[in-house]
Amino acid sequence: MKTMDAILSAVPKDRVPPGSQTSLREANRARIIDAVQQRGAITQVELVGVTGLSAATISNIVKELTAAGVLNTAPTSRSGRRAQMVSLARNLGLVAGVHFAERSLRAVLADVTQRVVAEQRLPLPPDHRADSGLDRVAQLIEEMVDSLGASMTEVLAVGVGIPAPVDATTGMVSASGVLRGWDWVPVPQVLGERLGLPVRVENDANLGALAEHRIGAAIGTRNLVYLRASYGLGLGLIVDGHLVHGRSGAAGELGHIVVDPDGAPCRCGKRGCLETTAGATALLGTLQADRGHLALRDVVTQALEGDAGLTLALAAVGRHLGRQLAVVCTLLDPEIVVVGGELARAGAILLDPLRAELAAGALHGTAGPVPVVPAALGEQAEARGAVALSVEASRIVVAGGVG
Amino acid sequence: MTRPPVMSLRGITHSFGAVRALIDVDLDVSAHEVVAVVGDNGAGKSTLVGVMAGALVPDAGEVVVDGREVRLSSPGLARQLGIATVFQDLALCEDLDVVENLFLGQELRRGPVLDEVAMEREALRLLAQLSARVTSVRGPVSGLSGGQRQAVAVARALLGEPRVLVLDEPTAALGITQTAEVLNLVERVRDRGYGVVLVSQNMADVQAVADRVVVLRRGRVNGDFDAETASYEDIIAAITGIAPTRRRGGVS
Repeated sequence: MKTMDAILSAVPKDRVPPGSQTSLREANRARIIDAVQQRGAITQVELVGVTGLSAATISNIVKELTAAGVLNTAPTSRSGRRAQMVSLARNLGLVAGVHFAERSLRAVLADVTQRVVAEQRLPLPPDHRADSGLDRVAQLIEEMVDSLGASMTEVLAVGVGIPAPVDATTGMVSASGVLRGWDWVPVPQVLGERLGLPVRVENDANLGALAEHRIGAAIGTRNLVYLRASYGLGLGLIVDGHLVHGRSGAAGELGHIVVDPDGAPCRCGKRGCLETTAGATALLGTLQADRGHLALRDVVTQALEGDAGLTLALAAVGRHLGRQLAVVCTLLDPEIVVVGGELARAGAILLDPLRAELAAGALHGTAGPVPVVPAALGEQAEARGAVALSVEASRIVVAGGVG
Repeated sequence: MTRPPVMSLRGITHSFGAVRALIDVDLDVSAHEVVAVVGDNGAGKSTLVGVMAGALVPDAGEVVVDGREVRLSSPGLARQLGIATVFQDLALCEDLDVVENLFLGQELRRGPVLDEVAMEREALRLLAQLSARVTSVRGPVSGLSGGQRQAVAVARALLGEPRVLVLDEPTAALGITQTAEVLNLVERVRDRGYGVVLVSQNMADVQAVADRVVVLRRGRVNGDFDAETASYEDIIAAITGIAPTRRRGGVS
């Protein structure tokens, strides 16, 4: 595999005076690479729309960057016309995507075109903590890279998803109590220093939305709602093609919408959050009395095997979720609702009652009720979104590099 | 707990000379359940494994399997009664291949000759059930990683269709990737309906996969926790004896 240095040294690196033709060209190159990094793969025509550069400029720069080994082009077609698909060159390096869920973590290694080359899942203790979690994931990434016969110098960046709102500027959990073991931990610094790599952190439902939007069930949509239904309940919202973070990254914390102000206390400090009625802890807690200790996957598996009681329990969760999603869909009017997370494996058992409540509660015009589909990427969705995030975080072009 | 235990130890007491290794230990394991046994060095974990494996006959106490009181007087008998133990050293033969290891001493025969085809098919089926990433069942075990070896040892234990699988320190001395594979393996064995006793020192691993955590301290049971609700501190306190607690499940 070529190293970054080899690629970058293939093009001259002299500093250029600002405002000159050369510096303009350099900025344009960066703009094109940025766009490709963000989309994964994009046609030259679409690049015109995204970057605002002329078709001729794009054609020239793409040709040049392809020769330099940064980009890769392949013939494809768009609306019946021949087109040129542009992606990052596979041998630019590796990226890692990590999803810390409530009870397990999934680490994925991929090349910069987001093709997965290695994957590992590790069960985690309840209320896991950032220190040991990040230490374990660093070791895991190192071992996975090693088992591919690659070295850590080929890894460009790491994307991390965690099941809590994340402040984009600090990379810290922005609401204390939601993920107790991770409060006040600057994840990008801790993991970045441990691995010596750029690290980006994002809410996991947002990453699920990102992945389903780019390579999953919601390709081609501009407005989508992604529900991650697992031990926690979170939303990833894409409005007009952009991920919605809100002021502190807490947009879409569905599990912490208050549905019963006099309800049971929630881990976030409020009372009667959706999580206390439809969340996994509530569900498993009520089942424990007559069924003993169940994991969330047991509930799904046994319901799929025909257990009537658990089927009813999951249907009730589906109705709760559908009622809240009706509010969300009335506010945002999305084109599609994608349901991921461990509970999505229950399929129609969860989704049919959810659809019924959603259709009954949301305003829908002539287009009919919003389609609700299971995540195409399954339980991999969030980790794949983390891969996409790490590609964006990769320093493909170091400032003053190519050009 | 509504499920009746498939294996119950009642009042197990065992001494080595003047050293009382186990004192009045009770342990229940149900189907579809991982019970972790944790404790400091010398707390009696290995002795307890020995009793369950049939390698040690306790001085007092009874073992109930499927509602019947039994005597685990030899390892062979324990296996027959449905308690399979995988020891820390795994006891695999390095230069034999995976199939030969699985069926060592219990080879399938077809008339006078070994039925290699049937054994290989069964080996592949078992390893697939465990989603074990073993590249070749005809390669020697010496070429496998720690996690893969553990999978082979577990597959061999599952061959006799046991009710309870006892795993002694399955993640000790493994890297994180292999630990991940072993923990996934424990989950899958449990999900297939087996009862699992997981003896381990590693609290992160224990809390990740266990349904219940039983703490041994100086030969006695010093705590029986619901793994979901017990905190790390609770369990450590019981291990070290700072605040002896005895509480059990059902907290919500």
